[in-house]
Parts: sequence; structure tokens; C-alpha cells
Amino acid sequence: MNLSSTGDSRVNGYLFVLERSLKSFLPGELVRDAVREIESHVRERVAAHDGAPNEREALEKILKELGPPLRVAQAYSAERIIDEAVATGRVVAMVRALWHLAVTTIGGFLVGLALLTGYFVGLGFLMVAAIKPLFPQNAGIITKNGWPVGFGAQFPAPAEPVAGGYWIIPISLILGFAALVLTHRAARAFLSRRQEKPDLPALR
Amino acid sequence: MSRETWQEQLRRGALDLAILLTVSPGPRYGLSIIQHLEAFTDLVITEGTIYPILARLTREGLLEANWVDGEAPHARKYYRLTRSGQKRLHEMKDEWTLFVDKIARLMRAAETSTT
Repeated sequence: MNLSSTGDSRVNGYLFVLERSLKSFLPGELVRDAVREIESHVRERVAAHDGAPNEREALEKILKELGPPLRVAQAYSAERIIDEAVATGRVVAMVRALWHLAVTTIGGFLVGLALLTGYFVGLGFLMVAAIKPLFPQNAGIITKNGWPVGFGAQFPAPAEPVAGGYWIIPISLILGFAALVLTHRAARAFLSRRQEKPDLPALR
Repeated sequence: MSRETWQEQLRRGALDLAILLTVSPGPRYGLSIIQHLEAFTDLVITEGTIYPILARLTREGLLEANWVDGEAPHARKYYRLTRSGQKRLHEMKDEWTLFVDKIARLMRAAETSTT
């Protein structure tokens, strides 16, 4: 079957969306290779559809069997980014995988936001522990009218003296490391779960 | 775990082995691999998701790929097993056979003890 200009536009539209989606996480050379391979698949399927009575129906069937371009792109990302993150457990790989899930799926966004909060909380505690010896009047339990309203460091120093002596340093270190370790474990568990159950339909 | 999740895990676990088996007799291009899998199994649900797996297996050094022009109106990307891929396939076949055998024994034992 030879495609009409309308059919060609449909195929090019599909490939355009796929290319745009892949570009967000794959290097340019790999994107071109992947798009070329998918185009080869579509053209081959089209060529095999000789005698199809309706070009539009035949083409839609081929593209449906191939899967929506976003799902194909997600499968590429799942194979590449999440595998690397789960296998290595490296912070950079984990953050990249979480970021990709956060910008491509709603569930990924919500979980990514929670995990990001966990990482920031951990880093915040560690920063308080680091700042306290240098600026004892600025770091600690921040109070208002004698009541604690927060924990951290404030510049310039708050009007009301901060509560908490140097004992907050070990407490902050413990809480900071605990928050980072627990968040990292949760992130890895989440990615493992995603790896086991990516955006692929269930077995027939 | 839901039935769908379990089936999906089984499918994913089997897909790497199925792909390596498909290219073990000789090089095949993407669509030919998909058609072979579709002829023998229900493992291919969405054709487009096979290509990322082929890319990963290539990245892991189990497959090597090269484009071939001229044998069809469009270039085809052929995949073949590497030496490392052959070794892995051999290991996976052994492990799969052992696994299936153990589960089968377990099922027979369960059936025996219920009767």
C-alpha cells in the first residue's frame, strides 16, 4: 500500500510526537536512531497492507498496534532511566529517574514532590548542624512569644533569641541523615515498583 | 498483588529470554522479531514497547545492531546475539528450565496432597 499525502502526514505526526517525547531524556543520536527504527517498522507494516480497502483504517490499525507515541517514549524511558537508577542506586541517577516520572505522570509528580520534600528536610537538618557552631544566635528552635514556631536558621537573627544550645547539632545530624536515608530508600522502592509495573498493559 | 501485576511481571521476566531466543538462530530486524514473538507467544502487547527492550539489550552488550540498506524500500535495523548474549542466553535457558521444573513439581506435590 502506498500512502497518500494525508497518510504520510499522519505517520510524520506520530513520529514528530515520538521524537519530541524522546528528546526530553535521550541524547540526540539515540533519538534519531529510535525514530528511524519506528519509522522503518511503520513503513514496513504499511507496505505489507497491499489491497487494504481503506488507507485510513489500515494506518490507524498499524499505529494502534504500535502503541501511542507517548507510551512508546515512556517505555524507552522506563528501560533506560529507571533501570539505571534501580541498578546503581546512585543519587544522580535516582534524581533523574524521579524527575522524569514527575514530569511525565501524575502519580510520579505527587510521589516525586513528597520525596523531594524528604530530601530537602534531610539537607535542612544537616545545614542547621553545620551553621549552628558558626552562627549560634541564628540557628536553633525559632520562637515567638516564647512558643516554638520553627526549626532552622534565620538571617538576620530573629528578634527573639533562638532556643536550643549546641545539643541541637547531634540531634540535627541524626535527623538529617535519617531523613536522607529513609527518603532514598523510599525513592528506590518506588522506582523498583515502577520498574516491575511500568506503563505497559497487562498480559492478555 | 493483583493478577494483572503478577502476569505483567511474568511477561516482563520472560520477554528478555524470548527476544534472545528469537535472534539466536540468526540476525533479525525489529518487525521480524515482533512477528516471530507474536506467532509463538502472547508476550507482545504493544509492538512499540519491544524496541526499547531491544535498545536496552543492545546497551547491555547482549545484542549488537546494524542498519542494512537496500533489501527493502526502507532500511532495516538487524539485531544479532553477541558472544556475551549467547552466554547469557545459555544461563537463562538453564535457569528457566530449572524454575519451570521446580514449580511443576510443587504443583504436582500440591495436587497429590489434596487428593
